[in-house]
Amino acid sequence: MRKRLGIISLFILLFLAFIIIWNYSYQTGLKEAYIPIENGDDSEVFLSENGVFENSQLALDYANMPVDENHQRTLKTYYDNRAYYGAPPSIPHPVKEEMSMGGNTCLQCHQSGGFVPKYNAYTPITPHPEMINCRQCHMVQNTETYFKQTAFAKKQAPIVGINNALPGSPPMIPHQIQMRENCLSCHAGPAAPKEIRVTHPERINCMQCHVPDNTQLGIDAIIFTRDNNSYDE
Amino acid sequence: MYTSLTNRRKFIKKMAILSAMTAAATMFPGILFADEQEKGIPNSANLDWKKAPCRFCGVGCGVLVGTENGKAVAVKGDPKSPVNKGLCCVKGYHSIMALYGKDRLTKPLVKRKGQYVETSMEEALDLVAFKMKETIKSHGKDAVSIYGSGQWTIPDGYAASKLFKGCIGTNNVEANARLCMASAVTGFMTSFGIDEPMGCYEDIDHADVFFLWGNNMAEMHPVLFSRLLDQRLKRDVKIIDFATRTTRTSKASDKSILFKPQTDLAVANAICYEIINNGWVNTSFVEKHCNFNKGLTNMGYGLEDNYKFKDKPEKIDFTAFKKFLEDYTPEKVEKVSGVSAKDIKYMAAYYGDPNKKIMSLWCMGMNQHSRGTWINNLVYNIHLLTGKISSPGNSPFSLTGQPSACGTVREVGTLTHKLPHGVVMNEKHREFAAKIWDVPVENIPSKPTYHTVEMFRALDRGDIRFMWIQVTNPMVTMPKLKRYRDGAKKEGRFIVVSDIYPTPTTDIADVILPSAMWIEREGLFGNSERRTQHFDQMVDPPGEAMSDTWQLVEVAKRMGYEKQFYYKEETHIEEIYNEYRKHHDNKKHNMAPLEVLKSQPGAMWPFVDGKSTKWRFNAKYDPACSNGKDFHFYGKPDGKAIIWQRPYEPAAEEPDSEYPYWLNTGRVVEHWHTGSMTRRIPVLHKAMPHAYVELHPHDAKRLQIRTGDNVKLTTRRGEIVLPASINQRGVPAPMQVFVPFFDENLLINDITLDSFCPISKEPDYKKCAVKVEKA
Repeated sequence: MRKRLGIISLFILLFLAFIIIWNYSYQTGLKEAYIPIENGDDSEVFLSENGVFENSQLALDYANMPVDENHQRTLKTYYDNRAYYGAPPSIPHPVKEEMSMGGNTCLQCHQSGGFVPKYNAYTPITPHPEMINCRQCHMVQNTETYFKQTAFAKKQAPIVGINNALPGSPPMIPHQIQMRENCLSCHAGPAAPKEIRVTHPERINCMQCHVPDNTQLGIDAIIFTRDNNSYDE
Repeated sequence: MYTSLTNRRKFIKKMAILSAMTAAATMFPGILFADEQEKGIPNSANLDWKKAPCRFCGVGCGVLVGTENGKAVAVKGDPKSPVNKGLCCVKGYHSIMALYGKDRLTKPLVKRKGQYVETSMEEALDLVAFKMKETIKSHGKDAVSIYGSGQWTIPDGYAASKLFKGCIGTNNVEANARLCMASAVTGFMTSFGIDEPMGCYEDIDHADVFFLWGNNMAEMHPVLFSRLLDQRLKRDVKIIDFATRTTRTSKASDKSILFKPQTDLAVANAICYEIINNGWVNTSFVEKHCNFNKGLTNMGYGLEDNYKFKDKPEKIDFTAFKKFLEDYTPEKVEKVSGVSAKDIKYMAAYYGDPNKKIMSLWCMGMNQHSRGTWINNLVYNIHLLTGKISSPGNSPFSLTGQPSACGTVREVGTLTHKLPHGVVMNEKHREFAAKIWDVPVENIPSKPTYHTVEMFRALDRGDIRFMWIQVTNPMVTMPKLKRYRDGAKKEGRFIVVSDIYPTPTTDIADVILPSAMWIEREGLFGNSERRTQHFDQMVDPPGEAMSDTWQLVEVAKRMGYEKQFYYKEETHIEEIYNEYRKHHDNKKHNMAPLEVLKSQPGAMWPFVDGKSTKWRFNAKYDPACSNGKDFHFYGKPDGKAIIWQRPYEPAAEEPDSEYPYWLNTGRVVEHWHTGSMTRRIPVLHKAMPHAYVELHPHDAKRLQIRTGDNVKLTTRRGEIVLPASINQRGVPAPMQVFVPFFDENLLINDITLDSFCPISKEPDYKKCAVKVEKA
């Protein structure tokens, strides 16, 4: 008796399950096919200009900051710290932890800047804080001596004040901007070299007035040439 | 329920803070110039500075041009100009260099046996007048035409309209603004019955949230965009970029929302649905000031010759409108547009929030749209439903791309159906114009002839035999260009081109007239915010170059219209402007007197009782309001604006298996339109030497294309090879590509489609199907 009840209830269970499953699949079949919109696997895009607008919220502070005349950086020290114009700067001070990633050490000071009494200077700000393996490119200079002298000639950096096309027109950008897309990090704030400190950091959209001078970057773009030159005498 | 300015005290408080901040900003202009920075800059103390509106875009920045020994040598932003407050963009700062390209046209050139021969201006103008008379004689009045532009000064456009419509008697007057903001015009006309924005740039200083509808403002209207950024620093406003492509603007915005091309129609309707569904409608505003209409649908795309369309507006009620919107729930629209329901609700919530003032800004994304009039209507719908319109900070604002698209093409009316005041179809308007023009009223035909695309089709067919093209470069800008280039080159066509440099358009000319540009002559421009600005002649034009106005006057005289073209050479700009003002002598459109325009950086019409009008249709600011209520949309007979029922319809040509990508075209910050001026400015050319095709990184990876590789684009119209650009200036969405159109050596318009909005007849340059291959 019990055995038979067991078998019957098993069949009833199976039957119920069938009805439920069939019903469910019938119902879903009735629904409009719905394809959920994929919200882009990596909607984050990196333009070569990415970062121009980073930190722009600081621009007004930069604009209103008084100049600390006694602790201004100069363009000379800026370039002296680089192997050549455009090279990543070396680290002119001992680092705290030899093993750590930059995110925990370097960025503590170099993300937002500020005055460091120990070095009697303002901390320069990095234009690319998202890259945290700092010492992949930036090296500590642990010695002043050479293994062997070098014949490498350091390329002359662009001169300030001659990059304008017209008197008073906004200077062109005389350097490449890869890894340096964030203009404000070098051209504004207390650590900016005084010769290249911008008078109007609050403008933010820098490239609306300052465009890259590609000829300085070795890109061939001297004069616009028409394909049709039938007018030339 | 709420009234739109409940919190007046808060508003005044905010204004006070704002003005204090502005004052503070001028008193402490950041860090002072270090001596070191000024070392290399030559002394510019001896320059003579004079004001002018900028030569380039429709923002209409005030600039000060420095001249020395008869040459323009420097430019600075005019601090007195309320438009740009002393700032320019890179084009403006270097604009004067456009005067001094080495290949400047200085002598008229006449084509004889396939060769261009130099001649004198006298002879060339004789020839133009003779050819025009000859063509009229043998082929009729409607065989001659003039095609001008939004860079025409007000007197240029006025002289052209008077000569062709008033004297010759043909409505064959068109301008490139048809390619640029005709949809904005029909949007205004259908929703409000009167053209041009109700608000002004000052709205930027009051709005809390900015919606950019398919508008890369950071590049195309940089000076206004910098005002937005400025407000964000001062007041923490929100900037929302709603676009099909990731651009510099997207990067600077607080939120970037991407939609699939053409589906902005659906999203705008979904926002309206949300506003109604959540009870955010400003009921008293809608009841007092709005009507509901629907028009025809399935209008087609104008791809065939002689395509005609006339909308049939039909009144509906709010219930019917609400019913219509049920097809546009955020969830349904998500599937069409690719915009998540969450993002749609996010946008609607801002529009619906009674405590947020909203400014919507748009330009070519909405205007160069195969349903351009509709999408303009739909954005107005949102602002009308919420009553966020015609008051400081609440502003749907249509931006323009040319310095006088508004001032000349829209206000003087250099379009086939337009007169300076009103339209040719209206007998009273014709009588009014004829009286001022001093011509018999029968001269002005009552039927419009050809809009731009159809005008070039007529030239191809041979219905038009003579075309005079001034200040524009249609052989770069026409869509499906090859057809129109081949048509223009056909036997028995006579093309006159007035320009300052050789361009692909002068290449097809029979006569090339050298023009005096911008500050080489006196003139007036009108910008996007109804601001008319005057500029003096500051330098001499080169060689025999002559202003477009005077070219037209000279030809008119030669054709026997001395009586109508009585102007004296020394004073003709003043005479023409004073005559033109008579057309707008009413409270709704009065233009400021010339002496006012000479004394200040422009004035905004309607200029009534010595004052510019900042917000039209608002009784508090606009003296033309006469219905005794707080708002008066006096463009419509019953004083009510119209909320339009406009559905989503697909574009003319959408991607398929053969042509699987969308092709989008547009501009870059460095170059202005076809680059005929900016490419001759070394600074700008060096920064942006040639066109390119932007791909999404995924597509590029799949096709094994890297930046700089050649890419072949093929559409049903032809093919073109361009260098690839990946992750550079902008990033299109997957399965879309973008090409800027400035490069005459890489003519993308050879392969674009000439479909247009059936109401505005403005082509859709933003959408056609393309195949992408590694070349």
